[in-house]
Amino acid sequence: MAAATSTPRLRFWHNRRQRRLAIQAAFLAALLLLILYSISRATRLSLGFDFLNGPAGFAISNHWLVEVDAGDPRWRVYLAGVANTVRLVIAGIILATLLGVVMGVARLSGNWLVSRVALVYVEIFRNTPLLVQIVFWYTAVLLKLPRIDAERDFNGVVYLSNRGLALPWPEPEGAILPWLVLCVAAAAAAYYVRRRRILLDERTGRSGAANRWALATFLALAAVAFAVTGLPVIVDSPTLFRPDVGAIEYRGGMVVTPEFMAMLLALVVYTGAFITEIVRGSIQALARGQTEAAMALGMTGYQRMTLIILPQALRTMIPAVTNQFLNLSKNSSLAVVIGYSELFFISGVVINNAGHAVPMFIIIISTYVTLSLLISAAMNWLNRRVQLVGRS
Amino acid sequence: MTTQSLTRPVARLTFARAGRWVRKNLFSSWLNSLLTVVTFAVIAWVGFSVIRFVLVSADWTVVEANRRLLFIGRFPKAEEWRIWPALWAVMAVGGAAYGRWAPFARRDLPVIALGLLFVFAFFAEGTAALLVGVGVLLAAAAYLGGRFVARDERRAAVASRLILIAGALLLPVTVVLFTVASGVRTTLWGGLLLNIMLASIGIAGGFALGVPLALARASTMPVIRVTATTYIELVRAGPLIAWLFLARFVLPDFLPPIGPIADLHIVARAMLVLAGFTAAYVAEVVRGGLQSLPHGQEEAAQALGLSGFQTTWLIVLPQALRAVIPALVSQFISLWKDTTLVFGLSLLELLGASEAAIAQQRFIGRQAEVLLFAGFVFWLVSLTMSRLSQRIERSLGVGER
Repeated sequence: MAAATSTPRLRFWHNRRQRRLAIQAAFLAALLLLILYSISRATRLSLGFDFLNGPAGFAISNHWLVEVDAGDPRWRVYLAGVANTVRLVIAGIILATLLGVVMGVARLSGNWLVSRVALVYVEIFRNTPLLVQIVFWYTAVLLKLPRIDAERDFNGVVYLSNRGLALPWPEPEGAILPWLVLCVAAAAAAYYVRRRRILLDERTGRSGAANRWALATFLALAAVAFAVTGLPVIVDSPTLFRPDVGAIEYRGGMVVTPEFMAMLLALVVYTGAFITEIVRGSIQALARGQTEAAMALGMTGYQRMTLIILPQALRTMIPAVTNQFLNLSKNSSLAVVIGYSELFFISGVVINNAGHAVPMFIIIISTYVTLSLLISAAMNWLNRRVQLVGRS
Repeated sequence: MTTQSLTRPVARLTFARAGRWVRKNLFSSWLNSLLTVVTFAVIAWVGFSVIRFVLVSADWTVVEANRRLLFIGRFPKAEEWRIWPALWAVMAVGGAAYGRWAPFARRDLPVIALGLLFVFAFFAEGTAALLVGVGVLLAAAAYLGGRFVARDERRAAVASRLILIAGALLLPVTVVLFTVASGVRTTLWGGLLLNIMLASIGIAGGFALGVPLALARASTMPVIRVTATTYIELVRAGPLIAWLFLARFVLPDFLPPIGPIADLHIVARAMLVLAGFTAAYVAEVVRGGLQSLPHGQEEAAQALGLSGFQTTWLIVLPQALRAVIPALVSQFISLWKDTTLVFGLSLLELLGASEAAIAQQRFIGRQAEVLLFAGFVFWLVSLTMSRLSQRIERSLGVGER
């Protein structure tokens, strides 16, 4: 018996401290047993990470930042997949936030028709599985577009077909780096002008229109620099390329594949519906006096929204919206179903080709954890800034 | 004083009144008028396209011909009789609960009408119509029964208990009914039925595991708290589809070689994953409820001489769970939508069955019809659940401060 107490009838489990120790020891023992058992089973599996250096044996056509071909090691192809995930998540977060804020404001609009449209949007897209929406956009909408040789174009500038959307895209040419450096200098000048206008505003009491002045300064300086450095950016327009042998394809410009478009569309529309509700909730949570006070000051509806309501609602919004961003980044893995080559799809191909499921899953989960931590860190930084601005 | 003056003045719809409403809500300023006109044009265009598609250009035979596949997958025809009693039981318990707690309100009408219309559109002829009809009659009778017992407080208390027990028994009874006496292996469950079974098992398992997990995370014993926290945070860090693929590729190597567990097939493994995944999220929701309780509750329970177990079971949990019912329901709605993810494991749930239907030679190119149908079914169930949650919220007075 563990405890030697003076009264013989008292057992060790009557002592709170000893009972807690015993419970934890038993729990730890059970946990250790489970882990030992798992390890004993796992020894039959390959657990090393060496396979990542082997040649991938497959390439992905849809890459961004990281160029790969079939001879590259597996880790490089995986990295290309991560880049594709990041591209999807960043575009998704920006567009979903825009859609959510617009729809959230529309939901509270005094215009009956507009608020009803926002309500119907939320009720439809929030309550339907994301995967159904992804498959719907992909197979029932985007793959049903005209074939590429049907030449559905818009004055030869933008092409849209079941092979994707081809857009004109700026391409750097020549002295891009000097121009970028000059742009940074222009931004610094704009910042200085903004400070001066704010000081003027404070001194005279008249609106200094600081942001407008800053923007105009920046644009003017950047444009001058653009001309001086010899127009270092050209617009690359897509064209239809018809080879003598083989399939027609788009050449040049920016080609958005149907897989990426379907994922982006579905993620944005789905997450946007949740953000709409968050925006509506945080605006409604504001005291009604805020709107009334702004009206009493003679502000227009637009001024009320951008200067009074949204900045304050933002504070209560951020934690919930962060959660939605995390959901969006995790939901990007659903692209595996329509074959968009993001990290999860690529891991699936690697596991199918080479096995090594356990180490691959460790890598996958670590990647998602890193992604989540990055998003959380960025949003926490934003949160702190907003809170400080609010109290100053 | 006549009784007339005590009632609210009847708002008569006149042209003047309608005109005022339109001016105030649609044309209050020139910007608003422009917004109204543009929105109306968009609505008209979208509405017209959708209606034209649904009524004219869509060919719904793909859904009609694949009714069986979409609803029950490859469930053997000879064993179909097992489904009907389960369906009746669900409808009866649902009807009774509806009558007992949430007497019919006019805003429920569209959902009920849609549901009935939908059911009868698909089981319009033959024995199926008869069998569904029996279910509807049972539900209606149970509803009336529920209304009847709700009038008397003592009867209502007994009935509440009975309905809750019956509700808790629904899932185990259904599983037994499907599998008993050389029944249907889970690999043959499919279609909407599989979604419902996956979601139910996920909910039951997730709740049963999630509440202890939340308590463990709130525990003052470091070993237990750290383990629970690690589990919850790890599960929430990865996407569900990754955990499902883990169940497909990795789990078989780790299952103990004991009897039937050794070769647990993919449907059962998916159920395990869904339950374990939901548990982590339920635990976080319940933790919120635990934290919302004032500390005095626990101290008062201790002052009354209640043991630790009694304090948790009788004082803390009932109040914590009550506070988080809305959040729990929205968790379950998201689980319901997430059951489509087993499509990634090539299971024939409703989305998988839809894809299988499109793959048939004679229905090539009918993606929109089938996917709209599947989406509509999921939507209807989610909407019903969220309405239900609003009802419960109001009747419990949660959220009213």
